[in-house]
Amino acid sequence: MQEYSYASDKEINKSLLKDVLGMPKWWLAAFGSLLLVWLTGMGAYGWELNQGMGVTGVNRPVYWGFYITNFVFWIGISHAGIMVSAILRLTQAEWRRPVTRAAEVLTLFSLIAALTNIAFHVGRPWRLYWIGPYDFSRGLWPNIRSPFVWDPSAVGTYLIGSTLFVFIALIPDLAAARDRSTGLPRKIYAMLSLGFRGTPRQWKLQAVAGILLSALVLPVFVSVHSIVSWDFAVSIGVEGWHSTIFAPYFIIGAIHSGVSAVAMLMAIMVWLWKWDKYITPDHFDAIGRLLIIVATTWFFFFALEWIFALYTLESAEIALREWQIFRNPMGPMFLVFMLTSYFIPVPAWLFKKVRRSPMGMFITTILVNIGMWLERFLIIVPGLQRRSPLEFDWGSYAPSIVEILLVTSTFAFVGMGILLFAKVFPLVPIFDMKEGVRLRDEIQVGRKTVPATIRE
Amino acid sequence: MSDHNNQPLGFYADNPEWTTPESINEELVARHEAKSKYFKPILLALGVGVILGVIGLILRLVDGVSDTSKWGYTAAVLAFLLTTASAAPMVAIAPRIAKGHWRRIISRPAEMWSAAGLISLLLFIPMLWVLPSLEDGRRSLWFYHPGEVFAYSPHLWMTLSLLGLVILGFALLWISALPDFALLRDRSEAGSKEKKRYTWLARNWTGATGDWIWQKHRLGIVGALYFLMLITVHFLFSVDFLMTLVPAWIDALYPATHAVHALQAGTATMLLTMFILRKFCGYKEIGHDQFWGLGKLMFALSLMWFWFWISSFMVYWYGKRPNEIQVLELFVKGPYLPLFYANFILVFVVPLFTMIWNFLRRSVWGPALISVSVLIGIFFDRIRVYVAAYSVSDQSAEFHGIKTIPPTVYPDVADVFIVIGAITAPILVYMLISRVVPIINIWEQKELLLYKLHKKYHRATVMVLGKPE
Repeated sequence: MQEYSYASDKEINKSLLKDVLGMPKWWLAAFGSLLLVWLTGMGAYGWELNQGMGVTGVNRPVYWGFYITNFVFWIGISHAGIMVSAILRLTQAEWRRPVTRAAEVLTLFSLIAALTNIAFHVGRPWRLYWIGPYDFSRGLWPNIRSPFVWDPSAVGTYLIGSTLFVFIALIPDLAAARDRSTGLPRKIYAMLSLGFRGTPRQWKLQAVAGILLSALVLPVFVSVHSIVSWDFAVSIGVEGWHSTIFAPYFIIGAIHSGVSAVAMLMAIMVWLWKWDKYITPDHFDAIGRLLIIVATTWFFFFALEWIFALYTLESAEIALREWQIFRNPMGPMFLVFMLTSYFIPVPAWLFKKVRRSPMGMFITTILVNIGMWLERFLIIVPGLQRRSPLEFDWGSYAPSIVEILLVTSTFAFVGMGILLFAKVFPLVPIFDMKEGVRLRDEIQVGRKTVPATIRE
Repeated sequence: MSDHNNQPLGFYADNPEWTTPESINEELVARHEAKSKYFKPILLALGVGVILGVIGLILRLVDGVSDTSKWGYTAAVLAFLLTTASAAPMVAIAPRIAKGHWRRIISRPAEMWSAAGLISLLLFIPMLWVLPSLEDGRRSLWFYHPGEVFAYSPHLWMTLSLLGLVILGFALLWISALPDFALLRDRSEAGSKEKKRYTWLARNWTGATGDWIWQKHRLGIVGALYFLMLITVHFLFSVDFLMTLVPAWIDALYPATHAVHALQAGTATMLLTMFILRKFCGYKEIGHDQFWGLGKLMFALSLMWFWFWISSFMVYWYGKRPNEIQVLELFVKGPYLPLFYANFILVFVVPLFTMIWNFLRRSVWGPALISVSVLIGIFFDRIRVYVAAYSVSDQSAEFHGIKTIPPTVYPDVADVFIVIGAITAPILVYMLISRVVPIINIWEQKELLLYKLHKKYHRATVMVLGKPE
């Protein structure tokens, strides 16, 4: 990092707690707009519950449509927190400091958003408890060999792990907020900060817990999307799904979309909260470089998936691929997917000017997420649409307005969640920023000053 | 701001006595020029191994190239070389791109393994005749149509990529060693053999700013290209020279798995090299930081090994299509089950339950022993997969399965000789190269003096590390 913020502790506290202890002017309007979108979605959900799944576009044999696409998409976005926070923390990448919490919070809300899609999809959400061994007397047991049963365990563990991860890293900042607030907020912050006073022992415990959670949550993060991919890959009935590459391909795709979402969030943080002093062009540059590697790895797996689909020489598999590329409306979607997920953003990120610009990164990362949403759609729907041998029925799929409203509401929900979090807790980790300032140094090499970091 | 001139504790590179560029030059050039009394006997022993390998290869060639089952062990050991020696330079390339200072002392030993690509290339030549043309009707990446696609496309592309890997490997080693060649040129006696050799190798390197900028750029570009070419080689070799021989085997993940094995085995190769250099060659500077860093990587890679394996296995196990059951029978449950178990334990279980402990990762013996375990495990894996695949008799793509699961193919004398030769030859090349190229990157150690210093911070002594753009 070449651009440093040498703010004092007092300045950091003041600027990062300002919007927690006060209220930014734009906050209510932004939150209100998102709430409206979300409530509209909930209204549509009420209609779906009342009328049944017939109000959606899913039909025989396309049982999985927008909701499952959106579920996989949000599970993918949820990988951002772990990728940016845990891995960069373990590798001691200095540039992680201002963005870790935003990434972790994005994980939390996107996981919840993913789970709501399952509720939208199942039609009778009040029977979700069937996922557990609920009825001993009737001898009804969930099939523990099914990835559908592993899904809730993995996502649940990930949600608990991520919540703990956010909470542990939040404790010193909660204590800082406690010491600067009054009345009821002070009591709440005092309760949440667990008596943190900043003693050496408390710091040590907090650091050890953070590192341990970083390491422990990583296998969970891998398991979550692997299991989601096995929802598709272990079935042999749908062409295009039964592929060994799905687990790594889904994970790397998730990292691609997740890290892009973090970059997008960084730009929003710079614009809305004016944190350009903490999130500098260097941070955008670093995440841009990371994205080039992630995107290219993703593309490698994408290419492998396609090559081996054709390598099978099975006519049904090849026909599916033709369908995906050459037929309407899949063909144009495929083109948009390819352009937005790789061929526009990656060449753009090769230019330093784009990488260092919040606007450049915002636009390109939005494109990535449009592409990655379409990717999930193109995996799920065309395979189901195609007529299989012995199938008595086949058809097309078009999302209904209910599905569109509900999918839109999940985006509003995540935005709302982040805004609400940022109103109550600091979105940029205060203690991490202060630690960063303390560990910074410079070394004089000839006539050049080189940024340096203190290591134990 | 930390300033070298105001350092109360002094500053040093990986050896506390290396406090000035001159001291580093003196020490490392002297070590490079020193000759161990064990060097020649070891070289001789390795030479015997290479001769055995050549004899084995001749015996194998006498049998002919039409029966692929006889060439399974040769293919396996070639894959083993591509997985170990050819992947070891990644230990220098990746941390250099990430600007990790800890790699400096081990980057040259890692780059020197790229010279072993020469042996892979030589061993690959007979394989060109062993692999049938696409006219035999087997599956192919190249979607063969008579008259439209060249029937020897797999042979052509694999040769070009392997040749590319070897050239890039030598280019990487040469570019990295240029400043050291220039140093050795300047320090050798006028008119001597060394002077001529290093003058030729150093070209016109003078250490001007332009030279350094050129070298830094080329190191980055060639390193990245080497990585891409390594992945390409593993992709092509694992598909064209392995998977296409088993008509039932459709596994989109396997080429990536093959490459991930290479990253793990390359790391293991380097850990073992570091151990030998430290214990037997006097390079005590290769210390706990390096073993710790690579130990952590080994832990992560062993987890990754499991993830890639379970990702394939799960889909086959659940799918249970006839061809999937046959592939599991051939590679896992059938004649090579003991090798599968050994592979699983040595490559995954052992590193996982040892490298998880910090005290073992920080030790010198721990990662070295684990690397031996991983290398043996990977060797078994290559035998399990390649020997099994080369023993499948009907390779026609029209039939989507394996008619009969072939029995275990045991190595004969020729196979044993080829394996001995293929393992000793790269070590021999490595040792010979070490007589020309200094084992420790001298210029990188001197550069470290500029970026690393120790200073007092409150009551502690801390290290300050500079990270240039």
